[in-house]
Amino acid sequence: MSSTYKERYRDGDNGLRFQDLVYQGNFKGMEPVPDGILGDRIMRQRAKSKVLEKVTREDVLRDQFTLDELNDLNNYLAWNIWDVLVMRATEGESGMIPRQQYEILAFMNEFYRWPEILDMTTREVGAEGVIDIGASARRQIGTKINCVHDWSIGAVGFGMGRCGLLALESIEPQDHTRESNSILKFMQRVLWGKRQDGYLLNSQDRYRCRIHDQDVIDSLVTQIEYFEPESDTAGQFQRFNAAAELLSFLDHYDCRLGLGDTGPYELPDGKILIIRDLFTNEEAFDWSDVCDHEGVPHCYSLCLVIDPDKMSLAEIRVNDISTTFTRPKNYIEAVVGGAVFVREKWNTPMSEIYNVKIKDLDKHLNGIQQATFKLYTKYSRMPRRTLIENGMYVYYIDMILPHLRQAGTYEKACKDYDFWEIDRRVANNYYEIDKRGFAAQVVPQKIFSGEGYLPFPEGTPLDRSKYLVR
Amino acid sequence: MTVIAEGYNSFATKKKPSGTVAYLPDPQSVIKLIQSGKLKDHILLVQGGTTTFLSPALSMGAIGVITMSGAPESHLGILSREFQIPCVMTAHLTESGSRYVTGGDNKAHFQEVIDKLVGKKVEIDASNDETGKIVLV
Repeated sequence: MSSTYKERYRDGDNGLRFQDLVYQGNFKGMEPVPDGILGDRIMRQRAKSKVLEKVTREDVLRDQFTLDELNDLNNYLAWNIWDVLVMRATEGESGMIPRQQYEILAFMNEFYRWPEILDMTTREVGAEGVIDIGASARRQIGTKINCVHDWSIGAVGFGMGRCGLLALESIEPQDHTRESNSILKFMQRVLWGKRQDGYLLNSQDRYRCRIHDQDVIDSLVTQIEYFEPESDTAGQFQRFNAAAELLSFLDHYDCRLGLGDTGPYELPDGKILIIRDLFTNEEAFDWSDVCDHEGVPHCYSLCLVIDPDKMSLAEIRVNDISTTFTRPKNYIEAVVGGAVFVREKWNTPMSEIYNVKIKDLDKHLNGIQQATFKLYTKYSRMPRRTLIENGMYVYYIDMILPHLRQAGTYEKACKDYDFWEIDRRVANNYYEIDKRGFAAQVVPQKIFSGEGYLPFPEGTPLDRSKYLVR
Repeated sequence: MTVIAEGYNSFATKKKPSGTVAYLPDPQSVIKLIQSGKLKDHILLVQGGTTTFLSPALSMGAIGVITMSGAPESHLGILSREFQIPCVMTAHLTESGSRYVTGGDNKAHFQEVIDKLVGKKVEIDASNDETGKIVLV
């Protein structure tokens, strides 16, 4: 068996289709757009500006997007959201955590509240400093400055927030233009600083997120243990990966913020390395106390070595929400090596991150399983409103928490900007989200389908603001 | 061999777990099944494709899962692959035209699937990368 995945990196290759659905968005009357590499190419061909091509440091340092750039980013993010989430959107209600309800509230709160906090952070560290926030991810593992968090700034805070408020008819398409620029500029600077190849998103680079410096990768791979896929060692590593991933989802209220993949990095022998951060304990969340009690660290970082030939790998995507998908789907059977590292706290220096041998993982696995069961029991006793509020905080706080921590502005955001408060308009919307099935319908049908992302109308003044009185 | 339901396969595997279908409607039913010590006797039928609801069952060694919504890109699809637990998602009955509709009113559809599958001894055939089958045994 041999792999064909490298064909995906050839000029002109269209990639595989991972789904049958197609995207229409704001391009009514035009050919619908598919997922994957071909979809990215078409979306960039339809852009009016150059903002979706490789951009320079000077472009990124410029404070203001043009209206065409804002609309190109809006359209591309809408497609990208559809690309990664339209199939997830079929999952329906959880039976435990009202996710669609907390999601729609978080989207709106982010759109209303983030601009002044991101502007404050930019004032504190400067535009170059925001680029440096992204760049810091190149020399770390176990950091939440990663694809899903960086993508969320623009895709969720701007894109989904604005889309949700448009669907509720709370705002008009020309509203909050200045604030939209604030959010998207912050996102652009962080992503550009992280990637440093001129692109912002993994989808622009055929779903690759190869951001770590080579010496960082070189030091990690020295700890990799190789094994036969059917062996006990493989089973032990596989069980640990799965259990830690489960807890990372659970601690983040069943959302993807707990998981961060980077790669694929090709190793000298042709195998593929994925670096996976699993955030199993977040000190900002009060419910994570059960993780503390079980001695679960902030993050387990795993190196997964995949043999592409063993699975006849045809395509691998590390998408913009930090998740690896392959064709064929089951890459777990082709994992032939692994390593586990522990970062005890979010600010533990890289020099203090330590490796745990696979044979010693059982003690850690036990703590993870105990924390999982305790967290589940805790959630099962919570009132619905508490679950929604907590879930809302996971999105609204955690999506920009790592950037504020890196900039040193988190405390200022809490003290001077009431970061943990909910905008009054959003709080009032709590009573509206279940009427006529709004959350259950709008989230999958408007937001994850990419259909409700109306453009800023031609002629909209770039300084049009609902924040500032001049 | 009668295929009574099929849906998206979360990942292809040679594993063919079999057991009696048990429907789990709420967290209490999940905890009760685990505490009964009979988790591995059952193929678990759930409504949603999210992860949290089935967390302890996945962690404690569930052998197979059927969902009535969701896709391999949903969190339960991702986690079932990581645990290597065969999982057929958005399953529909082969003899019925009723299908799950995203964001729609699916109560009658869910009930039809529950009525047909619960208590039946079935096997999951997850050998195809795209489609998973529920086979009556």
